Amino acid sequence: MAEQFQEPIVEQIYTLNLGPQHPSTHGVLRVLLDLDGEFIVKADPIIGYGHRGHEKMAENRTYKQFMPNTSRMDYLSGLLFNHGFVLAVEKFAGLEVPERAKYIRVICSELNRISSHLLWFGTYIMDLGGFTPFLYCFDDRENILDILDRVTGSRLTYSYCRFGGVTRDIDAEFISMTRAFIDRLRSRWTDYHNLVTKNVIFIHRTRDVGVITPELARQFGVVGPNLRACGIPFDVRKSEPYELYDRFDFEIPTGTKGDALDRYNVRLQEMEQSCRIIEQALDQLPEGSHINEVVPFKVRPPKGEIYFAFESARGLTAYYLVSDGSPYPYRCHIRVPSFGNLQVLTEVFRGTLVADAISILGSIDVVIPEIDR
Amino acid sequence: MSKSEKITQKLQAMLPEDDVCRDESYQGGVVFSARVPLGKLRDAIKEFDEAGYYLESIAALDFQDTFELVYHLNCYEPRARIAIRVPCGHDQSPATVSDIFPSALWQEREVRDFFGIQFTDSPDMRPLLLPEDADYYPLKKTFGMVHAYHKRDEIYG
Amino acid sequence: MESQRVEPVIKFALLEDILNLARANSLWPMTFGLACCAIEMMAAGAARFDLDRFGAGVFRPSPRQSDVMIVAGTISKKMAPAIKMLWDQMPNPKWCIAMGNCAISGGPFEYEGQYAIVPGAHLIVPVDIMVPGCPPRPEGLIQGILALEDKITGGEHRNYLRRFRRKGGQGQS
Repeated sequence: MAEQFQEPIVEQIYTLNLGPQHPSTHGVLRVLLDLDGEFIVKADPIIGYGHRGHEKMAENRTYKQFMPNTSRMDYLSGLLFNHGFVLAVEKFAGLEVPERAKYIRVICSELNRISSHLLWFGTYIMDLGGFTPFLYCFDDRENILDILDRVTGSRLTYSYCRFGGVTRDIDAEFISMTRAFIDRLRSRWTDYHNLVTKNVIFIHRTRDVGVITPELARQFGVVGPNLRACGIPFDVRKSEPYELYDRFDFEIPTGTKGDALDRYNVRLQEMEQSCRIIEQALDQLPEGSHINEVVPFKVRPPKGEIYFAFESARGLTAYYLVSDGSPYPYRCHIRVPSFGNLQVLTEVFRGTLVADAISILGSIDVVIPEIDR
Repeated sequence: MSKSEKITQKLQAMLPEDDVCRDESYQGGVVFSARVPLGKLRDAIKEFDEAGYYLESIAALDFQDTFELVYHLNCYEPRARIAIRVPCGHDQSPATVSDIFPSALWQEREVRDFFGIQFTDSPDMRPLLLPEDADYYPLKKTFGMVHAYHKRDEIYG
Repeated sequence: MESQRVEPVIKFALLEDILNLARANSLWPMTFGLACCAIEMMAAGAARFDLDRFGAGVFRPSPRQSDVMIVAGTISKKMAPAIKMLWDQMPNPKWCIAMGNCAISGGPFEYEGQYAIVPGAHLIVPVDIMVPGCPPRPEGLIQGILALEDKITGGEHRNYLRRFRRKGGQGQS
């Protein structure tokens, strides 16, 4: 008699909304997950919550007026984006840059790359549940921001580079602070390895989690440390050297399996390689002027187009500029690395647990406002 | 023979002579630039997929007489980027390449958001960056504040 | 956006003062970083500029557990309904700080042909304190939180738990 009143167990797919307001601060990302129990069946990222219309603004601003926008797209590597834009327009319009300015730009860009990787490190471990490395990283990062604040005037969104050089010259205090910082950072590696890399919980949460195969990476256009963790040594600084990178001696760290632990190791080693580049640049720094005074006030590139690629903290970034001879660009399209890096998650999330999904999302290192532009 | 030379030979076999231009100095960031008509787009992209390239970006340009889609493809060797230019009229619809390169899915959604170019046979044409109910195409030169609107020959000569 | 101040029916005087003192010195913010200002908010909560010493370091991800919503970053038109929904989900008493130029007036992205952003958080939620800057330094955000505490207690001289004088506060002569 009781069997008539029992309902059979119905297994159904449950849709969960990993909403735009997110405790792990990657920006505003929304992922619609279809769950079967705790396993993800389908993942659908929805973006656009940070769309600010950069490409339309570029058509209404002169090249110089567009500089603040470049820093705010990927705010963690603001100087790198500045640097890339300035290099693109200088190549397009054929402008000269003094040697000292090139070295200053390389040093500041590599400092920015280290600060971006440090912030990724802190927030990734915080996503996994450990709060202490976050405080260590932000302390190191504040040292970098002090150094950059002295010379650029800003902590996060710099507009330091100009067409033909940089705004302000660096002094001896900057050089000594940078050298002291590099020594201090190198002594911190043991702290970080003891806190995190040898931690059993961390290894269990990252080994064999979120494996991206080289074929999957090629189909989705994955670039940056995620691609290098799969085993492909592709770095724009080596394959299309721009701005003095062919004069420095540094390696490209690669991984073997393409899981989250490999991505973590690749980024830590990249910070060490950036330290090497900064040291060599400081040793080779020549005397001279920090800006080319002869650059016209309104830069008018010739008619045509240019596609300039550089390596930001997240991978290959490119500016595609089309000019009609006037001071305003006709079209400015920016190819950001997080576009492909986020899209690959539609494949990688299938069949993983929700907790592993948070770990994978953190290890990919996306910044959503750069996708939304 | 490097990958870029192999793929250019295949393209030169497919297209007329003047449409494949080489740029040795890499001034524009590409080593070859090929002009592909709308009908041969999918065949050209399939050649790239077999050659081991990946799709870097799809950008659209708005001119008075036509749209133009520019596909940039790259591979992991140094200086191997190739650009494909596809002229597309204001009311034509190019074919989707998202079954060959899955990364094209989001790129095409973005182009559709900004320019209104519909890609046929695409599995997903929802808005990517604009709100769900947006009925405007912001990057067209007939929308909002615009500084210049040219014909294609005024820029590329 | 209009907001009304209604006189409460029962006035508690001393109890209300004690409750305001407690609310001011333990503000729990909600993590609402939208863009670049979010990083400076995180830096304000980190080791060098500590927000924990003001009682405000416990960032709650859920709106139901937080007192103050710090809108940090540009508000796009797609995100605006979500902000309204989150504000409505917060229980009273609640306050709002608009951090950064974008949340105050649209910031560097506001120009005549802008189609994609809402120029200011005050168009969606009632804002109590505005902190300017692009992005504001963490010290600026701390200054804003201290100003909010003074607003809650009704003046800096009534905040008996504070052991220093804020620059620009009422105690400064």
